[in-house]
Amino acid sequence: MSLSLTLDFEYETSIDKLWSALTDSSKLAKWIANIHTGKPMENNFEPVVGHRFQFRTEPSQYWDGIIDGEVLVVEAPNRVSYTWASGDEKHTVTWTLQDLGDGKVNLHLEQTGFSNVHGLEGARYGWTKWCGELEKALAA
Amino acid sequence: MSDKNPLRDVFDAIADPTRRRLIRLLAEVDEIPLHELTEQFPMGRTAVSKHLTILKEAGLVAGRKVGRETRYRLNASPLREVQDWVAHYSKFWNENLRRLSRLLEEEQR
Repeated sequence: MSLSLTLDFEYETSIDKLWSALTDSSKLAKWIANIHTGKPMENNFEPVVGHRFQFRTEPSQYWDGIIDGEVLVVEAPNRVSYTWASGDEKHTVTWTLQDLGDGKVNLHLEQTGFSNVHGLEGARYGWTKWCGELEKALAA
Repeated sequence: MSDKNPLRDVFDAIADPTRRRLIRLLAEVDEIPLHELTEQFPMGRTAVSKHLTILKEAGLVAGRKVGRETRYRLNASPLREVQDWVAHYSKFWNENLRRLSRLLEEEQR
């Protein structure tokens, strides 16, 4: 595990199609879903720095169903980054696209900022470093 | 969440670098007396003891008296909550990125 979440996916597509899937509001609505209900989330995303957007799903017992974000970086077709906040948690999501040739594109997701919540502000360095230790402690 | 309904939020407990260091030290041993823990810190035993109390309140540390000293040991299970918290996001993206994969496959056709 890690407290900055990173994931890598490889897609058989063109970098432009993947970029569009990640930044076009109607396409985002086709794959970003509430994983508990499987229903797509409505959004008003726009790949414009400073644009504020929301992803919405039905409220549940645990949260109001709203994710608030602000676009931070748009470097078509390679990088897009935005804040991703729900409840009292505010993270930063960054997507990096890399053309691998042969019709393949690598998509790298990094979600950071887990350290900004629960009073951990400013402790990021110590927190990240501590991650491996947490795993050790859990294994002990 | 821990079964014992702790007095303190585990995230609170691990927010402080001294307490994270204490957890790290405790993870390396079965049990350790307060004076041996204190040697590792540039602070007195009262201060270390206060941090241990906070860890105890979160259910992360247990102490037992042996003669005149208290020995501490780690109970790592509340840390699972921290792990689950990140795992939630990991699951969210993993599932949705698989949906994206299907979407892109449909587009190819």
